[in-house]
Amino acid sequence: MICGLTADERTALLARLASLPETMPPRAVWHRIREQAEAEGLLRRPASPPRTLYWGAGLAAAVGLVAVLVLEEPAAPTFSPTPENYTVSNSQAVDALAALMVESRQLENDLRALPAEPRVVRAGTQATILELEERIASIDQQLSDPASGLSAADREVFWRERVRLMKLLVGLRYAQTQRAAFSPARQGLPGAGVE
Amino acid sequence: MAKFADINLDEAVVRRAAGGDVRAHEIIYRAYSTPVYTLCLRFTKAPAHAEDLTQETFIEVMRSIAGFRGESALGSWIRRIAVTKALMFLRSAWTARSQSFTDDWDDVTPGDNLSHGISRHPDDAMDLDAALASLPDVARTVVWLHDVEGFTHKEIAAYMGKTESFSKSQLSRAYQRLKPLLGQADDAPEASGAVLRTY
Repeated sequence: MICGLTADERTALLARLASLPETMPPRAVWHRIREQAEAEGLLRRPASPPRTLYWGAGLAAAVGLVAVLVLEEPAAPTFSPTPENYTVSNSQAVDALAALMVESRQLENDLRALPAEPRVVRAGTQATILELEERIASIDQQLSDPASGLSAADREVFWRERVRLMKLLVGLRYAQTQRAAFSPARQGLPGAGVE
Repeated sequence: MAKFADINLDEAVVRRAAGGDVRAHEIIYRAYSTPVYTLCLRFTKAPAHAEDLTQETFIEVMRSIAGFRGESALGSWIRRIAVTKALMFLRSAWTARSQSFTDDWDDVTPGDNLSHGISRHPDDAMDLDAALASLPDVARTVVWLHDVEGFTHKEIAAYMGKTESFSKSQLSRAYQRLKPLLGQADDAPEASGAVLRTY
């Protein structure tokens, strides 16, 4: 006998293997995949998802308001970007930059509104968060440094990148808090601390 | 159990995914994430590892789907990626422990599976789950690939960088461990008695 099973035994085994239940992955897995894919530029955003529309409309209104205010009094913008030394010189650049700054500030508010980091964290996630924070800090340093000699176009690129990184950071931190909220430790289940 | 081959998606979804459409990728994920995660969980036994491997699998799908020509079914293609990722993970774990594919039976004390309270009666799934979990990683992987996913020994050997004999040997040893579970067949009076010599 090569395997030691009769035909009936093997049939029974195959039937039982086939009847084993499948396991769905936790919801957070898709969010992590999407975050990574977006960070790597693998995904194209949908044209018009409803939530984006609402959010986009709100952002557009905010940007419009800011742009009007800035255009009326170009020498004294009504907001101050995170890097204090930043100034703008033409109205088109103001529109684009104002939008990015508003978005960036909103993301910072979102980040601050999240609960503190959980005590037990995934090492990989934590490393990614630290890397994102370092990259954002590096961008802020560039934008704040009067000696950096950035053109308006360069500044827009930096601000765009800052917004992109902030979105990733907020997403990761949100996923982290969600994971902590539903971890076995919080629910008194076996496997606590595995994360 | 829904298998990879049982799932069919519209070709348009694949085309959209090839263009990076996030909705199309989400559809693909919803369709295949359960079999992928189940496979990874069977291989690794650890939910955290299975989650990471599921993530790696679908990221690889996103990276490579533009090159997917439809020569095989989408499910088979995704399964191949998942199997490759999971085997790479197991290889790296073995490497870290300075072990090879061949010696992990030494990690398992004979009769381990029988100490899990395997009975011939209720909850066969749980019994089989416990018995599978008690098998060495390689043997469990071979059983899953051969008996659930339908891989041939030749294919398994190629994936593992081993010979067909190695795959057959692993399956045979695994069967010996699982045999006590198959009591109902034993109980059947004068079962066919045919002994399988090839798979």
